[in-house]
Amino acid sequence: MSAHGRKKPREIEQEQVAVGFQIAPMIDVVFVIMLFFMVMVGSVKVERELKSQLPGLAPPSDSAPQEMPDEIIVGVEETGAVTLNEEEFDTGRQDKALPTFIDTLKRLKQEADNRNAKVIVTIQAEEQATYERVIDVLNALSVAKIANVTFTVGSDAGF
Amino acid sequence: MGGGGGGGDGEPEFQIAPMIDVLLVLLIFFMSITSAQVLSIDKEIVLPVAKDAKKKEKNVMNEAALNVRWTNGKAAILFENNTYDNVEPLVEKLRGRHDSNPKYRVVIRGDKRLPAIEVQRVMSVVAQAGIDDISFSALNKE
Repeated sequence: MSAHGRKKPREIEQEQVAVGFQIAPMIDVVFVIMLFFMVMVGSVKVERELKSQLPGLAPPSDSAPQEMPDEIIVGVEETGAVTLNEEEFDTGRQDKALPTFIDTLKRLKQEADNRNAKVIVTIQAEEQATYERVIDVLNALSVAKIANVTFTVGSDAGF
Repeated sequence: MGGGGGGGDGEPEFQIAPMIDVLLVLLIFFMSITSAQVLSIDKEIVLPVAKDAKKKEKNVMNEAALNVRWTNGKAAILFENNTYDNVEPLVEKLRGRHDSNPKYRVVIRGDKRLPAIEVQRVMSVVAQAGIDDISFSALNKE
């Protein structure tokens, strides 16, 4: 062993104190944190809202339609069945998307728009029908861009 | 951020400093997205899903959140961490808020298992308070 191979105690102490900024571990950590947030973005639940207007205080519309409004009655039953003018659509509770129902609503809206008429939808939910199914129907109405919605439960006058 | 060394006339070296800059920007971007979307709702409420509903407005000053729980077959209305079995005080409270701020609106955060009759009861409370601008809260995914 030569004299160069040995370090004096003072030199060893200096090396231990003066540790330089390690860039590689920092990049590793930043990568891991970034991957975590990237994965989280995909699974984050966001709160959405379905707006509605209660009657009574709403200002009257300036542009009154030329024709009588088309009234559609949508029923929501306890079993989850959704009816449109007493015709059942998308049977089965699992089908949240209600594709046939949405298509029919879109068609009715288009026809009403062509005649410059308003579409008014009345949701008649049974008392024990679930709120989830009512939201499914409101979601379908929002897809069909129908804004005039009345909500009734049972035989009550409703909103 | 400290600068990395350039290679001069030789082969171009891998520049570590710009890479760290980009990484940090990406990190901040993803952090801000995830933290901005964290929900602050009652954990006992299972919100329904409405994929096509609009994104919620960020206007906490003008809105009240009515949380409607469904526990043991019974609905409970909560407003500002208080449960209201009798709705009269709630109506008065909401009316007071609406009188002082005409733009005041109500967000109904109802459990998806609620029967429709309970939702109508909550809507009736809001209507009695003279508030017409309401919205139903839902999630974008299960």
